[in-house]
Amino acid sequence: MSMREVFDKNPDRRYIMFGGKGGLGKTTFSAATAYWLAKQGYKVLVFSVDPQASLSDIFKRDIFGKGPVEIMPNLFAQEIDADQRITEYQEEIRQKIRDMYGMTEIPEEIENYIQAAAAEPAMEESAIFDEVVDIVGSGNYDYYIYDLVPLGHALYYLSMASVYDQWIDKITALRTEMEEYSQVASVMQRNKESEEDQILKELQFIKHRINTSSGILTDKLKTAFFFVVTPEEMIILDTKKAAGLFAKFDVPLAGYIVNRVIPPELAGQNIPAYLRNRMEMQTTYLKEIDQVFSGEVLARIPEFERDITGLPMIERMAEVMFGGK
Amino acid sequence: MTEEKEKKPGWFDGVKSVLYGMAGHDMARYALKTRGSMEHLFILITMGDLLGIPILPPYYSLRLLPYVVPQISTWKRRMLREKDLTDALA
Repeated sequence: MSMREVFDKNPDRRYIMFGGKGGLGKTTFSAATAYWLAKQGYKVLVFSVDPQASLSDIFKRDIFGKGPVEIMPNLFAQEIDADQRITEYQEEIRQKIRDMYGMTEIPEEIENYIQAAAAEPAMEESAIFDEVVDIVGSGNYDYYIYDLVPLGHALYYLSMASVYDQWIDKITALRTEMEEYSQVASVMQRNKESEEDQILKELQFIKHRINTSSGILTDKLKTAFFFVVTPEEMIILDTKKAAGLFAKFDVPLAGYIVNRVIPPELAGQNIPAYLRNRMEMQTTYLKEIDQVFSGEVLARIPEFERDITGLPMIERMAEVMFGGK
Repeated sequence: MTEEKEKKPGWFDGVKSVLYGMAGHDMARYALKTRGSMEHLFILITMGDLLGIPILPPYYSLRLLPYVVPQISTWKRRMLREKDLTDALA
């Protein structure tokens, strides 16, 4: 099957993800796929959940933290600025405290906590995670393309969803039990209604957001996850391992794309031994890839003679990936 | 909001109050006390960082922070008091 067939045969898919080790071409493929889909007439948003995102570089536009930016008709790109989001979020919390209790100043103890929480390492991931729910939940686009973080982070991101989910379930249960005791007390005291538990409401809201996000990541109908590999031993081994882990989290794997293949037609030319050796090495590993991921390899993408940045190069890449216009 | 007229308490309300005092009050007090303990447990598992016990990803715990602001100081006092007690026993 080719990339084009995969998209043609699954018109219900809306969430496209490219995963793989760092530097293998995830951003390039995300951008090229977004470009191709936009040219087909779909409204597409490609966005990055990587704190060190590179969509700005590939589109040659500074889009960091600027929300969805229109790159060309139908094609929008977005890089999430986690720090900015955290700062805004902290202020939102402070404002809520001020409003709720009519305070002008936040008590020192509370302020310290707000600041310490923002410094936690998990904060950034969580903030991005939360923003993705906003982005995807808006439903303004036909396709959402996730330019994912390198594998380790992506797995963390996925496991975070299930950990959060369980955690929220536990405390929601505790909170519900607390609510029951309140109700017993108010029935005894013959109050008409016990006060609604705001925290319980808030927890249910959080739970809903987490479920939305992790639901998308594991939705077999709407989501396609592509792995990017290159013909190198280490990469093949790591990808195999990662694919197993992703399968454990029920991520629907849609196929593998092999990147950085030295064009085979070079073999007929007068090329240095160095390059010839590399080509032989690649041939061995390409065979291995076909064996290990048999039937699931969708495309072999040649190594280009220059960097893929700017729309004309992205267009060339899209043509190689999907063939024709 | 519907406005309710304040009724003069009749003899039946008096009886209800007596019955509540005899049977219900203790139960209500117990329920509230249990709830209070659970409230502290809840703050511990959500705001553990305040005592230096990181328990949960902080992003969503911040969302809950505004609701527990009034309880924080009593909660901290209680947690720290219990800690002092074990220290004294050791």
